[in-house]
Amino acid sequence: MNIIEVENLGFDFAQKTILNSLSFNIKKGTFLGIIGPNGAGKTTLLNLLCGLLKPKTGSIKIDSKLVKSYQIKELARKIAVVRQEFVPVFDFSVTEIVTMARNPYLGSFAFPSESDKKIITHALELTDTAQFADRLLGSLSGGERQRVFIAKAIAQDTPILLLDEPTSFLDMKHQVGIYDLLKDVQISQNKTIAAVTHDINLAVQYCDEILILSSDNNYIYGQPNEVLTQERISNVFGIQVMNGKISDKVFFIPLGKYSKKDK
Amino acid sequence: MPKTLTKKRMIINIIISLIVLLIVTSLCATTGTQKISLRNALSGPGAEPGDNIDYEIFIIRLTRVLLAVIVGAALACSGVVLQAILKNPLADPYILGISSGAGLGAVIAMLVPGITLGFLGGLPIATFAFTGAIITVSLVWFIGYFSGRSQVTSLLLAGVVINAFFSAIIMLLTLIIKTEQLRSTMYWLMGNIPEKQNTLLLFSCGSFVIIGIIVLWRISNSLNIITLGEYESKGLGIDTEKTKLIAFSFAAFITAVAVSISGLIGFVGLIVPHAIRLIFGPDHRQLIPLSAIYGGIFLAIADTIARTAFGQEQLPVGVITAVTGGPFFLILLARYTRKVSWMK
Repeated sequence: MNIIEVENLGFDFAQKTILNSLSFNIKKGTFLGIIGPNGAGKTTLLNLLCGLLKPKTGSIKIDSKLVKSYQIKELARKIAVVRQEFVPVFDFSVTEIVTMARNPYLGSFAFPSESDKKIITHALELTDTAQFADRLLGSLSGGERQRVFIAKAIAQDTPILLLDEPTSFLDMKHQVGIYDLLKDVQISQNKTIAAVTHDINLAVQYCDEILILSSDNNYIYGQPNEVLTQERISNVFGIQVMNGKISDKVFFIPLGKYSKKDK
Repeated sequence: MPKTLTKKRMIINIIISLIVLLIVTSLCATTGTQKISLRNALSGPGAEPGDNIDYEIFIIRLTRVLLAVIVGAALACSGVVLQAILKNPLADPYILGISSGAGLGAVIAMLVPGITLGFLGGLPIATFAFTGAIITVSLVWFIGYFSGRSQVTSLLLAGVVINAFFSAIIMLLTLIIKTEQLRSTMYWLMGNIPEKQNTLLLFSCGSFVIIGIIVLWRISNSLNIITLGEYESKGLGIDTEKTKLIAFSFAAFITAVAVSISGLIGFVGLIVPHAIRLIFGPDHRQLIPLSAIYGGIFLAIADTIARTAFGQEQLPVGVITAVTGGPFFLILLARYTRKVSWMK
């Protein structure tokens, strides 16, 4: 069953076409990786999917219903978004931030019920953030904060999870940790995940499908081993790449002018 | 460190604060340069002919104390809300030009002879100040709304420009004002709680401010989430445009009511929210009611000092809030400073 249906999607920004006649469907429970060079419209696509931007042409449906026809709270029960990291102006604690994720389910004062608290505790445990639940968000490191934002998205308890470069700023251990965590919730809660990423090698290992957006408004959608070839990566990013294979997974190493290429 | 807020804690804190407010109000109402007998005062207007002076003084004083509470509550609450929607801890109720608009209205009312337009127990000055305040914030809102992509920056800029413009006109008008009116104009611009028995003004302004605070309290959870940013709050199911409009218009409204009662009292709207945030944490569900209550307490005390410190000679309360508020805030800041991330 398709949970997200994108048809003939187009979007302009400042008289420049960002996306043009983009069509693809995402099946429920899929892990999609969105890759492409800077400015290709990856973040724009995420913002279109979660209803923050209105498409110029075409349509986006979530659960067979147009995104624009959703009530704002109803949509917040369908899609959770993890954005590139930010620090809030006022000092909220980790628990307070994660608790805010329950807002789409609660009344105006939004005090969490016992079942909400269970969901919050579970999200904190899954992301290994329970240890600093009482600390202020501003006092955490970038990687810790990123895990808190993922905890928040999990506590929002939505069938769809969108992420904008969830592993930028993170060291290798935490990069893998985040992808493991995402894979866990994909499998255990049958979540549909779409993540924008610059790390093609991680995408190859974890994603079921790949969407490549290129700067000339073309796109390719398919399974990682079909879509990701040396030639295509080279064309889309405009660089030379070296590739290799470990068991059935390909990997890519970008080559610059001064890279050591000795055979 | 403030723990995560629960409904029970919030209600207990509000009740304790209301008790403190009650105690402070009674103490302030019985304090003054004119000694009165409380027993006489409480015995009512007097059954026998002839005035019960104690009672009359007590009522005038109580009215003044309650007006101070209303003004303080409105300014502090409005300060909290503007800090949240502008995502700027330095915002205060006057940041979007409301003070200069109200000031201009008041100065015009003092300057033009024969203006008698007043309503709901307000004097012409109050009516003009209120109108000036409302016109100015609407102007700032429209300029901010229709210019530029970053609404917050445009709003702040529009506020700064209109503030400067109207302040210049106020300066110009005070030059041509009559000398005997200059003193009352200065008092107004520095902030001063009026001393007249005016039950209608008390009840109309009191109910406006209380209604405003309740409306703002109702959206307090949305304000919490809005401080995370527009995209985050929309993703969590908050209608940010609607929330901002409600927050902005009701904050402006109660500020305008406060300013029309008392002129331009500074510091309350900036210091009280910060002090409450330092002590009780940043959760607006608690911050809004507690700031309102302690804003009222702070101004009632400051006004009592203003009318008693120098015997019969009364000071504008705005001077007291500035002189006492600054050092008080610095002490709090030194004590709790590690909790404030924007200080880093």
